[in-house]
Amino acid sequence: MRVIIVGNGLAGIISAKTLRELDEKVEIEVFAEEKYHYYPRPNLIEFLAGTIPFERTFAFPQEWYREQNININLEKPVIRIFPDSQEMEVEGGKREKYESLLLANGSFSFIPPFKGTDKNGIFALRTLDDAFELLEYLKNHQRVVVIGGGLLGLETARAVKSRGARVEVVEFFDRLLPRQLDIQGASLLKAQIENMGIKVHLGLATEEVLGQDEVSGLRFKGEREIETDMAIIAAGVRPNIRLAKEAGLETDRGLVVDDYLQSSNPKIFAAGDVIQHRERVYGIIPSSFNQARIVASNILSKKEKYEGTVPSNTLKVVGLDLTSVGLVNPEEGTCEEFRKEKKEEGIYKKVVIQKGVVVGAIWMGTKKGVSEISRIISRKINVEKHKISLLEDDFDYSVL
Amino acid sequence: MEKWECTACGYIYDPEEGDLDNRVEPGTPFEDIPDDWVCPQCGVGKEFFQKIA
Repeated sequence: MRVIIVGNGLAGIISAKTLRELDEKVEIEVFAEEKYHYYPRPNLIEFLAGTIPFERTFAFPQEWYREQNININLEKPVIRIFPDSQEMEVEGGKREKYESLLLANGSFSFIPPFKGTDKNGIFALRTLDDAFELLEYLKNHQRVVVIGGGLLGLETARAVKSRGARVEVVEFFDRLLPRQLDIQGASLLKAQIENMGIKVHLGLATEEVLGQDEVSGLRFKGEREIETDMAIIAAGVRPNIRLAKEAGLETDRGLVVDDYLQSSNPKIFAAGDVIQHRERVYGIIPSSFNQARIVASNILSKKEKYEGTVPSNTLKVVGLDLTSVGLVNPEEGTCEEFRKEKKEEGIYKKVVIQKGVVVGAIWMGTKKGVSEISRIISRKINVEKHKISLLEDDFDYSVL
Repeated sequence: MEKWECTACGYIYDPEEGDLDNRVEPGTPFEDIPDDWVCPQCGVGKEFFQKIA
């Protein structure tokens, strides 16, 4: 059996690792676009901030791939798939045959269509090379605007700030982390971010990058302007569906897969950021991780269903504890919401309960109880009798 | 001893088990694991772990 994996991000490498754990004979060949071995993308933030050196951004030592008998081809992007003959073409013209193909080719940084994004000084952070370029530019440019107040935007802002830059964040919505926080949590977070010396502007829609060849500022809707030397765009990611689409596979926002993580072609599987499963496109590590484990066993012809992942996000900013799990902004009248806030201590906790079951939670300013509440959500445990006391600091989760 | 969870992928470090594949002996508290140790599941650094209270 020969399996070809396209992509060496988390989904690609964890699938390869799992395939090897399950079967010591299967031939595993990985084709990667980047020139680097697998690194977990959260490490990019730490690398950017200077808290970990280059060598430590990688997950496994170089020998690991040989020890695992996983054949990796770096800087070899796959440019075409021929599903009828079960072949694919690598850049440079070489064709490879597969028995099973796994598309784990991820996502790319979305660049919104405003004017001037081709100027020098516009960045996005997705790869190690992106991080290198950003750091190089930062040496001679000290004013930075991060466009996007989501998780990556805030983490990037903090990292660049710790390099000594003047950093401002602009967010299109009227609050930070619109997907992970509610209004109350977002306003607390804004104060905490500003306390770190990072200015936050809400409700600003970027319209144009100003400057000749180099960025000199940004212009927003309503004629507001901010002067800056560079801008980092953190406006989310989009699945890399071109390869699948050109091969005639079913695609929508992502590469469409069924519960077995199979594409519309039975010999082609997919996992990670590239997929769309039950109408959802995730783009987060825990879901890519689950999918990688499952797809590996399905490639070896076991039949394991992927049922989806409860989204869980932790903001990885030094000095701030913030975790958001599941549904945090329910439609009115569908759920009960319980809150507890201690403003002076920076603590805010909220649970969203539907028919006695916790379906979402926000945990800010404390780590205590965060793992327990995550588990209660993923296991759909009924908390009806305890819903009033659930947010108490000393709540005993063992009663559930 | 306290367990720690990887905030990136959900892996749980249990000091009673250690992480023998990466030369961390059973009985090693999380704080005593070398700083260059990484999550054995997804590979992020120690700073991505949080204590399970």
